[in-house]
Amino acid sequence: MRAAQRGDMAPFEELVARHRDKIYARAYSMMRNEEEAIDLSQEAWVKGWQRLGQFQGESSFGTWMTRIVINLCLDQLRKQKRQRTESIEAMDEESGGVERQMPVITSNPTAGLERAELRQRIDRALGQLSYEHRTVLVLHEFEEMEYKEIAKTMGCSIGTVMSRLFYARRKLAVLLADLKKQDSV
Amino acid sequence: MDYNAQLKLQAFLDGELSEAEASEVADLVARDRETAALREELRNTGRALAAFEGGIQLPESREFFWSKVQREIQRLEAPAPKFAPAPLFARWRRLLVPASAFALVFVAAVALIQPVGQAGRTSAADVETALADAGAFTYRDYSAGTTLVWLTYPADNEVAESDEMGTVE
Repeated sequence: MRAAQRGDMAPFEELVARHRDKIYARAYSMMRNEEEAIDLSQEAWVKGWQRLGQFQGESSFGTWMTRIVINLCLDQLRKQKRQRTESIEAMDEESGGVERQMPVITSNPTAGLERAELRQRIDRALGQLSYEHRTVLVLHEFEEMEYKEIAKTMGCSIGTVMSRLFYARRKLAVLLADLKKQDSV
Repeated sequence: MDYNAQLKLQAFLDGELSEAEASEVADLVARDRETAALREELRNTGRALAAFEGGIQLPESREFFWSKVQREIQRLEAPAPKFAPAPLFARWRRLLVPASAFALVFVAAVALIQPVGQAGRTSAADVETALADAGAFTYRDYSAGTTLVWLTYPADNEVAESDEMGTVE
């Protein structure tokens, strides 16, 4: 790490090789697009190199790099959101309370699934969430961020984080149950 | 179960509640079947998500991906190209372009103003004396469209010249 901070590229290449899948996975789970995820993870590594001097070791290098890629993805998602009209469904989600009418999924919709199949279903279900709901879920479930940290990262209140997270989880459960039904027909 | 209670249950599962609040929610889960069912659903979703990320891999080889990153770093770190002095013609051209534009604007302005001046003169008559020939007078009447030129013949200077020549002879 110190050699990389002094400007040596060879150890930095080692760091890229070690963490590249994790950084890409984070970008992919947020963007839901392979090309964009590759581009953003590449951009994150370039930024990582440029800011390497600022890395103090307060968190692990992987965590530090993940924060960089998360911020890049959030910027990109906000730009995309500004460019497209919000769907009626998304507006309903923002107003809150839709999840209260969702039935509780009593049986586990992913029980007995092979890992690959489970991953595919979650992938499809995540793709149907708005970026705000998906991001809050990703930051909480994969990054293990606390509500306060998510609120800071996303620039919203803790209350908004809680309601978005609740909606995202409930919607995901319904979507997974629907996918199970479709496959059983 | 109201919305706040649902959010509290979620916060309980996420470890975001104080001890006192957590024990309240735990009691509620034990007492209320609906709350217990919701807790189970939230837990199942969490378990499903935990299995999701493990297998995602960057779909590019180590060498190819690194070469892209390295190229971009080198591109950004490359010093900016030094300013090369422009050739003489290019420097002249830089001066001439605005000068020509200014001249063009000036000519256009004069062309626009002139007809107005002429229109103002149509009602009046002009009398001109050619400087080259002090013996000629021009009268112009724009309203009548007439021009008259008076010439003294022989001109005064010609009379003087012939007198001089005569003296020499």
